Amino acid sequence: MIATQTITPRLERSYARLGVLLIAPTILVFSLVIVYPLLAAIYLSVFSIYTPTLEGNFVGAANYVKLLTGKAFWNSLGVTLIWTVGTLTLQIVFGVGMALLLHQNIWFRSLARSLVLFPYFLSTVVAVLVWRWLFNDLYGAMNHGLMQLGILDMPLDWLGSMPNAMIGVILVGAWKYFPFVVIAVLARLQTIPEHLYEAAKIDGAGPIARFWDVTLPQLRNVLVVIVLLRAIWDFKEFDLIYLLTGGGPVTSTQTLSLLVYQEAFGLNQMGQAAAYSVGMMLVMLVFMVVYIRKTGKEG
Amino acid sequence: MHSKPFKTPALPRRTVLAGLAAAGATAAMPMRLRAQEQITLRWWSPQSSPEQLAAYQTQIANFEAQHENIKVVFEKTSDEGYAPQLAAAFASGDVPNVVTHLPSFAVATYWTNGLLEPFNGVIDMIGPDKFYQGANDIYEIDPGQYAGTGIGNSAANMIWLRTDLMEQAGIDQNPRTWDELLSAVQKMQGGGIYGAPLPYGRNSMTSLVFIGVIHQAGGQVCAPDLSVNIDTDATRDALEFYRAMREFCPPGATNYSWGESLTAFVSGACATGLYTGRVLTNVANQNPSIADHITCDLYPTKSTDVAPWTFNDFPSVFIPKQAPNMEASKQFAAFLFDPEGYIQQLHAAPGHVLPVLKTISNDPDYQDNEIIQKYSAEVELMSEAAANGFNLGWESRDHMPNAKAGEIVNSGVIAELVQRVVLNDENVDQVLGETTARIEEIMAS
Repeated sequence: MIATQTITPRLERSYARLGVLLIAPTILVFSLVIVYPLLAAIYLSVFSIYTPTLEGNFVGAANYVKLLTGKAFWNSLGVTLIWTVGTLTLQIVFGVGMALLLHQNIWFRSLARSLVLFPYFLSTVVAVLVWRWLFNDLYGAMNHGLMQLGILDMPLDWLGSMPNAMIGVILVGAWKYFPFVVIAVLARLQTIPEHLYEAAKIDGAGPIARFWDVTLPQLRNVLVVIVLLRAIWDFKEFDLIYLLTGGGPVTSTQTLSLLVYQEAFGLNQMGQAAAYSVGMMLVMLVFMVVYIRKTGKEG
Repeated sequence: MHSKPFKTPALPRRTVLAGLAAAGATAAMPMRLRAQEQITLRWWSPQSSPEQLAAYQTQIANFEAQHENIKVVFEKTSDEGYAPQLAAAFASGDVPNVVTHLPSFAVATYWTNGLLEPFNGVIDMIGPDKFYQGANDIYEIDPGQYAGTGIGNSAANMIWLRTDLMEQAGIDQNPRTWDELLSAVQKMQGGGIYGAPLPYGRNSMTSLVFIGVIHQAGGQVCAPDLSVNIDTDATRDALEFYRAMREFCPPGATNYSWGESLTAFVSGACATGLYTGRVLTNVANQNPSIADHITCDLYPTKSTDVAPWTFNDFPSVFIPKQAPNMEASKQFAAFLFDPEGYIQQLHAAPGHVLPVLKTISNDPDYQDNEIIQKYSAEVELMSEAAANGFNLGWESRDHMPNAKAGEIVNSGVIAELVQRVVLNDENVDQVLGETTARIEEIMAS
């Protein structure tokens, strides 16, 4: 009995040391790629720094004062929220709709399930080039088709004027990222017990009632996670918007990511850009806290 | 069962240990010593059409043939992308060895921040007497010190005209003033053809072209002493002209940059164009049916009292100060002007980049080009206009060099001025006031 008591703490200490050893590489990588850049951004944000030389002087809270009192940050925050809410809503609607369709016994279901992932796998640069060509005023298939159908008399300026530019980026964003929703929802749909639907049918529920009363409640948890993850990813989206509109017209589609980029590499003001990115991070923290609490509860 | 007998290793232990020690010593040797055997130079340029890339490969091959230990790698950048890419490169210290075709004002910005290697030695290698008189003045930002040199000249805001459409519209002479231009594009627009592909996008082309329009109204962005002087009647006139031209431009001109604007004219979708001599080669390759019906002229001004103002970005060559293998970098930069490769590079887009060496202009090999011969009057006009051209980094002969020009252009403040007034119909006085404040902030930064 005494021998067992002596061995157990020794084993526990040994396991603890092993645990620390095993987790150390993760902590190290995490520190290098997340903690260090985060601290560096906060550090840079209290300096006025010329990007190419990384030289500058301490300015204290001046960059944050400009962030709070200037229009740029708040304007871009508004644009970011419009973009995020708009594209995310469409992604969820299209994604759930497509998942429901692909869950049915349709012809070429396997092929369709593969093809629906295509936009998600396509490089953003390639996708944007294709869409820019489709939207082109002189040679674009979109204007050409609509004019052939008699819907338009003259080509429409899809990406250079508001609100078309915002609608355009939201649509392209939804097209690009809705497959993620399809994958996640489809996986969940396949695990919903069939007897729930049979019971609902016996109770006289039609297809719409079965969707609202059986399918949607079953999808609730996965949708919450999808919404939070996609909200975080869409909130910091850069390449798709930058390549489609460059933030224009004026600053109508300039999201916070584009503002940070413009400040850091257009105006070469790395300190101010860092302050904007810290502000952006604080906003994103709200999403993350909700996500962590949600996933924590489920765990 | 057959088992192999244990054998003593062929190499004695001492030899193995000595070998390991030697390998370790080699690994610990400074990189520079080992790199003497093989050097790689990185060359960046935003000019990378297939013909230009072929010319670059010739230049690289010729240089590598003369320097067996040197390998040159060409890396593309872009007119809209070079500023962030170079900013990141300078910040990280991972810079290219030689950069070409960037506008002179970008060079001035980098020079004043101590990021460039003095170019005097390279100019000496090329031969200062070979350059046109004053060709390097724009790069002499500090007295006696050259930040770079020109790899060519460009007349970037020439007006390109379809003579067949002019004839159909009863227009017998090239427009000289804005009123004449507005009248001409009105007459030529129709039947699926637009009047002009002026840029209204939030990009550098809109900024650079509109700076020219301000000058064509008799105005300026900065006064000769570099105080901001954009809030003037001339700028208001320029904005009015730009607004008037909007109805003659394709709908998507609100997102146009250089590529879209060029294609709009070359494809035949617009009756006029605004570009360098690249139009010539693109028409020859992409739409030869209009090749006999195009010409160019200086872009019209507000009135005949205002002299034309040609935008020359003075395409440059420079070397970042942090570049490794500096001596080889300088040799390569000078080699870019070797006649064989340089002429092929100029012929890649005849009339687009014009020679800065008078020895090249007079070279029969340079003149021996179908496009240059066919459009000799246009090439001559562009050469003359470019030689008298300016840009925001040097707005007139009276102006001081503006080292903040690159940041003003990259900030998008001028393009936003155009978009806010012309597209959004915002109050011009308020927008001009805010624009002035933003430029002043950049100038003071």
